[in-house]
Amino acid sequence: MQKLRYLSTFGLIVLVALFLTVSDVKAEVGVTDTSILVGCSNSFSGPLVYPGTQLVNNGLKGYFGYINAQGGVNGRKILTQFYDDGYKPQNAVANSKRLVEQDKVFAILASQGTGPVMATVKYLTQNKVPLLFPFQGVPLSGQKTIFTSFTPYPNQSELVVTWLVKVKGFKRIGILYQDDKYGYTFRDPGQKMLQKFGLKWVAAESYKRGAKDLSAQVAKLRKANLDAVLLVATPPPGATFLKEAHKQGWKNTRIISSGPLTDEKYINLTGGVGEGVWGLSLWPDPVHSQDPAVVEYREIMQKYGKDRDKTPNRYSLYGYFYAKLFVEGLKRAGKNVTRESFIAALEGIKDWESGMIPPVSFSGTNHLTQNSGFMVEVQQGVFRPISGWLTLKEGTLVPLK
Amino acid sequence: MLLQVIFSGLATGSIYALVALGLSLIYNTTEHVNFAQGEMSMVSAFVGFTFFNMLGLSLPIAILLTLLISALLGIITERLVIRPAMRAPHFNIFIITIGVSIVMKSLSGFIWSHNDYPYPSIFPDETISIGSATIDLIGLGNIGATVLLMVILYAFFKYTRYGTAMRAVSESQNAALLMGVNVKQSFAVTWAISFVVAAVAGILMAPVVFLSTHMGIVVINGFAAAILGGWGSIPGAIIGGMLLGVIDNVAPLYLPSQIKNVVPFAVIFIVLVIRPKGIMGMERFTRV
Repeated sequence: MQKLRYLSTFGLIVLVALFLTVSDVKAEVGVTDTSILVGCSNSFSGPLVYPGTQLVNNGLKGYFGYINAQGGVNGRKILTQFYDDGYKPQNAVANSKRLVEQDKVFAILASQGTGPVMATVKYLTQNKVPLLFPFQGVPLSGQKTIFTSFTPYPNQSELVVTWLVKVKGFKRIGILYQDDKYGYTFRDPGQKMLQKFGLKWVAAESYKRGAKDLSAQVAKLRKANLDAVLLVATPPPGATFLKEAHKQGWKNTRIISSGPLTDEKYINLTGGVGEGVWGLSLWPDPVHSQDPAVVEYREIMQKYGKDRDKTPNRYSLYGYFYAKLFVEGLKRAGKNVTRESFIAALEGIKDWESGMIPPVSFSGTNHLTQNSGFMVEVQQGVFRPISGWLTLKEGTLVPLK
Repeated sequence: MLLQVIFSGLATGSIYALVALGLSLIYNTTEHVNFAQGEMSMVSAFVGFTFFNMLGLSLPIAILLTLLISALLGIITERLVIRPAMRAPHFNIFIITIGVSIVMKSLSGFIWSHNDYPYPSIFPDETISIGSATIDLIGLGNIGATVLLMVILYAFFKYTRYGTAMRAVSESQNAALLMGVNVKQSFAVTWAISFVVAAVAGILMAPVVFLSTHMGIVVINGFAAAILGGWGSIPGAIIGGMLLGVIDNVAPLYLPSQIKNVVPFAVIFIVLVIRPKGIMGMERFTRV
């Protein structure tokens, strides 16, 4: 009897121990021995459909296709799952819940649009699902599970304004902005920066999203006799502005495009009247750059991209770049990757050379990939650099690289 | 400066006017409200783009072919989705046309991608100076073409046998049928004409707003223009469109940016309070 009791106790201990070991090696959500699943909600319809389809189909799927063709990362193929939110925040939330609860993704990668992304932040943070490199420019910091991507809009605005005042000596600066959050996150920080120099926006005009005619805004800004006007728009109205300025014979003011506007499409649409326009660029030219990393992007995107339209552009470049950064984190996290170990691996990245943007470094407190840009000028229909990479450190312009 | 902005407003307004014109045509004959009017312009503009950009045809030939194909598309749309629901309540047809617009937009994105493309104009890309204003010939051409199209359509409905028959259909389908009018054919012809008007709008609009699958959203301005001018009135569509374009443009010149967006709607509201049928709208009497 006594023996039996010992045996059963021993058996129980063994069982518990076994259970513990099993649960110990139980893989992370979305990770199996042969695969890892990531995904996001993005725009496959609605106003941002072009950026969305390019970013996902040619960028993410293109690079992951390339990696999978080489056998994946640590023996795991990267699988993806995407849903369309049409730029609607409520759909983005529903899609994200579906990705987390039903598809059980390892992380949300490169979702798009300020509104939709912001709407999902709380849910993803509460559920400790990593939100990696969303395509939007409103600052998001202080969360362990969130890593952000390009130079935030306020920083872009401050950078451009400082460069115009300090380097170019401009005093009379105006702004044309889209009448929504995108516009305000440029207008307001820009105004604060100008005040530091004892200046202000001499003229500030706005337009409604989808506006077809900017003749009144052009006429008013022109009348303000500006040295420079900052254009915070999307490519079609940006091009309309340039055409209208050309039509009205407005020549004595330098036009500068914001980061999101500095895009080949915007120059193509103007049909040649964009010559001499300046802009803040966050990327090397995806179409013309001969930097090895950009050439490689074009080759991989052509071969593995999934969209019918494979013209190189800044959106597929974005998807490609951040897919590459994700893979870098995954490699560093090793075979037994968990969400925690992945985040730790990303935080361990120091001076990672991408060949596209200045070296990337993260830390326990810094989850921002890029905080820089360089100034360009349109010459013969192409953005040519007129400055090196710049960043702002405590209000001072600092060259990088 | 004011002259400049007014002219620009007329040019933009001519686009709204053409959309309103297409809406009015369909409403006149069928009493249907067609939400796909903007998407019809978009599809036609892309068809033209395919001809001259991808197949390398000259612009005039490409446009001629586009107009022909548009008429055909109008007939197909009517036959496939409108005719089966011919006797359904008008609201059902409205929902059907919303569906048509979504299908058109998605299919176009699939075929031509959702990128924006520059689009050549049939008018020279030059400017002339009148006083202090710089007038661009594309805008001037668009205004001229719109007015011309209006006159042609107005004459067609007013003075031709066929046009009169189509107006009769809208009064009463049954009565028209008893009088020997081919109602189904009238529906088909209306859709064909409306699609052609949409094509003209698309071809004139694309050089200004650029070619993309988002172009169709202009239907909202078209609705506003049609209501302002008076539903179903052909001259009203033009007046409404032009007026809307000018108000839209002049308002930001004098008002702070926070208020200007409200102005066009405020004007529509005031006009409709004074004249509920719109500027040129006629009272419709229904005998019982």
